[in-house]
Amino acid sequence: MFNMTYEARRQFGYRIMMTPALVLMAAFIVFPAFYAFSLSLTDDALLGFAAQESSYVGLRNFSRLFSDPLFWNSLKVTLIFVIGSAVIGQFVLGFASALMLQRPVKYKSIFNAIICLPNAVPEMVVGFLWISMFASGEYGTLNRLVAWFGVEPQQWLYTFPLMSIIIVNTWRGIAFAMILLTSGLASIPKDIYEAARVDGATDTQIFWRITVPMMMPTIFLYMFISTVTTFAIFGLVYTLSRGGPANSTEILGIYIYNQSFTAFQLGYGAAVAVISLVVSMVLGIIYVKALKVEV
Amino acid sequence: MVTLVRPANEETIMTHHASQRRAYLTLVLISLFCLMPFFWVVLAAFDPKASQFLQIPDGITVNHFWNLLANESGVRWVLNSVGIVGTATLLTLILAGFGGYALSRTQAWWKRPLLYAIILVRIVPPPALIVPVYKVMLFLNEWINNLINSLTSDVAQQVVLSRIFSFVDGYLGLILIQTAMQLPLAIWIMKTFFDAIPKDYEEAAALDGASQWQTVRHVLIPLALPGFAAAGLFAFINAWGDFLMPLMFTSSPELQTLPLGMFRAFLRVDAIDYGFLTALAVIYTLPAVIAFAFARKFLTQTFSGGVKG
Repeated sequence: MFNMTYEARRQFGYRIMMTPALVLMAAFIVFPAFYAFSLSLTDDALLGFAAQESSYVGLRNFSRLFSDPLFWNSLKVTLIFVIGSAVIGQFVLGFASALMLQRPVKYKSIFNAIICLPNAVPEMVVGFLWISMFASGEYGTLNRLVAWFGVEPQQWLYTFPLMSIIIVNTWRGIAFAMILLTSGLASIPKDIYEAARVDGATDTQIFWRITVPMMMPTIFLYMFISTVTTFAIFGLVYTLSRGGPANSTEILGIYIYNQSFTAFQLGYGAAVAVISLVVSMVLGIIYVKALKVEV
Repeated sequence: MVTLVRPANEETIMTHHASQRRAYLTLVLISLFCLMPFFWVVLAAFDPKASQFLQIPDGITVNHFWNLLANESGVRWVLNSVGIVGTATLLTLILAGFGGYALSRTQAWWKRPLLYAIILVRIVPPPALIVPVYKVMLFLNEWINNLINSLTSDVAQQVVLSRIFSFVDGYLGLILIQTAMQLPLAIWIMKTFFDAIPKDYEEAAALDGASQWQTVRHVLIPLALPGFAAAGLFAFINAWGDFLMPLMFTSSPELQTLPLGMFRAFLRVDAIDYGFLTALAVIYTLPAVIAFAFARKFLTQTFSGGVKG
C-alpha cells in the first residue's frame, strides 16, 4: 500500500468504492442467474424426498418442458401479451399522444399529467382498480359503459382474460411510450417539416416519409425497452388473475412461480427460468451491440 | 399569428381546424381511458357505503382514513413499507453513489465490459430468479440465525434479532434484495451524472488543500445532487410498487407490507372491507404519484442505460 504511487492508490480506491454494490448485485442477481442453470439439472423440490436430497437428473427437466403443453401455452400467452400490450397497445396510444401534444393544443400539461398517472400506480393497486373496472354483473363499470352500445354484461376476466390483461398493461404503459417518443420527436429538425410544407406535402405524406423514418432509432429503443420490461412482468398479472382462469393468462413469470411454489417443483421451475433468462439475455446482447450504447 | 411561408387562405384554415379537433378528440379519449379506473377508488375511499362498484356517494366521509389509523394491521403495513423501502432507497443511494463515482473515474480495462454487464443485470427478469434467490436466502437465513443463537441465549432477544436480521421473513433480507434489484439502474444514473462533472474540479479542490472527504462533501455531492435525486426517486418508485419480493419473502403478519397485506385482505372474498381497502389504496398510491411527478423530468436521461425507470 505505502509504496504505491498517487495514481495507483486512487485506482485502488475506486475498486474499494464499487465493491459493496458489485457484491450485492453478484449475490442476489448474478450468482442466482447462474445457479438457476445448475438447479435446472436437478429434481429439487420444496416437499418430499427430493427436498432433503436432490439429485442430478441431466436434461430431464428440459425434455419434460418441451413436451409440456402448459409451457408452450405460457410461451404463447407471453408472446401475445408482449405484442398486444407493449408493441401495439402502448406504442400506438403513446405515439398518438406524443404526436397530438406536439401540436399547438391547450392544457398540454394537464393531458400530460393524466396520461402519466397510471404509470405511477403500484402493481397491486393496478390489479385492485381493474378488478373493479372488470367487475361482472350490470353494475360493473365496464359493463355499464358497453351497455350504452347495447352490449350484454360480460364476465370480462373469465370470457376475455388475455385481452383484459393486455388492456390493463396498455393502460399502464402509455406514459412511457409517450415520454420516450416525445423526446424522439423533439430531436427532428423543424426546418425539414417547413421544407416539406413548402414543397406541398400533405400531413399523411409528412408523417410516413419524414416522421416515421426519422423516428426509427427511437422506435427501436422503445421496442427493446418495452419488450424486455413487459417480459419481466409479474405482479400486475398476478394480482389480477394469478394466471387463470385455466392458465389463460399464465405468462412466463407466473408459470415459473406456480411450478416452483404452488406445485413445489423447484428444479422444473428453474428450467423454465433458464429459458426466460436466455431469451432476455439474447435480447439484451442484441440491444447493446445494435445501439452501441455510449459508455 | 400569420406565418410567412404559408398564406393563410381559407382551405388551410379549414384543415387546421379539423386537425385541431382531431388532436383534442384523441387526447380527450386517451385521457378518459387513463382516468377511468381512478374514479371508483377515489369516490369509494370517501363513500360511507363503499362497494366494489362505481357509484356516486350519498354523503362524504373521511372515516375510512381515520379507521386506518385505528386499524392495527393498516398502520403496520404502512410503517413496514415505509421502513423497508426507505432503508432500501437510502442504501441504494449510498452504494450507487460510491459505485457510480468509482465507475465514472476508474481507468481499468474492464470498465466498459463491466458497464455492459450491468445493463444485462438490469435486464434479468426478476421472476426468473425466484427459485435460486429463494435458495440463496434460505442459506443466508440459516447462517444468520445460527449466528444470532450463538451470540445470545436469551430467547426473547433471539426472536427480536431474528425478526430484524433474518433473510426469509425478516427485515434485512427484504431490504437487501430490494436494494440489489434497484442498484443497476441507480449505478448507471450516478455514473452518468459523475461523468458530467469535470475531474478538474476535484483536482482544483485538492490543490487548494481540501482533504479527500472535503472534496467529496463540498464539491462532488452538491454537483451530483440531481443524480442522487433521480436515482433515489426511481429506486423508491420501483421498490415501493414491487409485489414479487414481498410475496416471496414475507409470511408472518408482523412483517406484512402494503402490497401483500392489501392483496391478502382482498383475497378474503366474503369479507372485503372496500372502504378500508380503497382508503389504503389511496394512501399507498399517493407517495408513488408524487415521486413520479418529480422523477418524470429525469426519465429520458435514464434511457442511455437501456433501462426503464
